[in-house]
Amino acid sequence: MAEDQGLTAVEYLDRFFDELRDEVRSNPRLAARLVKAMGGSVVFEAETSVEIANPYLLAASGSKSRFYTVFSQMKPNQLKRVLKENNLATSIDLAGKSPSQLVDMLYDRASSKVSERKSSIF
Amino acid sequence: MTAIKAAIANLKGGVGKSTTTVMLADGLAYFYGLTVLVIDLDAQANSSQMLLTERGVQQASDQGKGTHHLLKQFMDGRATTAGPFIMPNAVSLEELRLAEEQDERKGWISALPSHPQLRLHELTLEEEWYSRSGTPTTLSDALATYFGGSFSMLDSLYDVILFDCPPHLSPLARAGLSLADVFVMPTIADAVSTWGTKQFSDWVGKFIAPDLPKRNFVLVTRFRDTRYSRQVLTELKEIYLKDRWFGPTIPESVHVLNAMDRAAPDSYNTFRGKYGGVKGDVRRLAERFSDFLSHRTGTTWQKIRD
Repeated sequence: MAEDQGLTAVEYLDRFFDELRDEVRSNPRLAARLVKAMGGSVVFEAETSVEIANPYLLAASGSKSRFYTVFSQMKPNQLKRVLKENNLATSIDLAGKSPSQLVDMLYDRASSKVSERKSSIF
Repeated sequence: MTAIKAAIANLKGGVGKSTTTVMLADGLAYFYGLTVLVIDLDAQANSSQMLLTERGVQQASDQGKGTHHLLKQFMDGRATTAGPFIMPNAVSLEELRLAEEQDERKGWISALPSHPQLRLHELTLEEEWYSRSGTPTTLSDALATYFGGSFSMLDSLYDVILFDCPPHLSPLARAGLSLADVFVMPTIADAVSTWGTKQFSDWVGKFIAPDLPKRNFVLVTRFRDTRYSRQVLTELKEIYLKDRWFGPTIPESVHVLNAMDRAAPDSYNTFRGKYGGVKGDVRRLAERFSDFLSHRTGTTWQKIRD
């Protein structure tokens, strides 16, 4: 890669932040991680919220209604993907389940995992 | 000077306890100029091997050095100090060796090494103790009293004492834990290690340190940058151990493996040569541990290198 001798330090930084901004716009998971790392809290739109929703974090937050609000918006295929990607179900477990049964399974298993793995010494 | 005593411990095996011990010893000695003693309480003797080499571990044992010899003193009912059982030279870094040679005592590492013989002594001791109606708890208490007494003279000689603990809760391991001011808990970002860490955290919190969260420094080691590992790391920090102090995430790296393989007892390497691609991780480990102690115990150390 050729070095651009004509750029100032600020211009280099502008380029870097432009790239970062573009990535954050198209990658909600990264956006959520960056905001969390900075200690902030951002409310994502419903569609994005579904994409970045983490069943463990939501189950650990203790709000069952919020959990159901987020995941009930999902289509069956999205729910199945979340269950499988988070190691909360196998294809065999998912067969023949209705959307509401999938959300129940997601909540029960995520909550159970959280209680099994969370240190009781706080 | 009163030494800070840190137990590097987790019930889960293979999470990098010995590697963390050596990285922390090197990092604190190199960047902060601290005088460090590594006490190996694990009969696998891995941190001893990393510091002294396999030959060095055997030579130390032949010279009467090591935790197994100290334990034998306890078994024989002889009161003693730990000093004669310590190998004073466990430094593997050229910069620290040169500083010592020039009498600039900026960073030095000693070892009270282990040896596989330790477990055999422990078994003999346990059989004798239990045959006299003793219990694991009374043995653990007696060992803590004995080792605490034999280590007391070390407080004024060292800045930091690191206990490399075994992945079980034998009376000796429990005694080591009970002598610690803080607990460094390495773990891996996967399901089995997370569960093992939770079990250990709960046990230590219940039986050793009710204020564990304040005294707990968690380190995720052997990290592979996959979506799954990142997710488990997030859950560790935000759910399972959310009130703990986290160190830097140490990558799974061939540099780490190489750094732990010392060529010979009289072989030295520069810090850069030893740690290669993970030298920044070792620096961050020392810095984060220093920050942790500063916030949680009020102990402050000045860096001597960047």
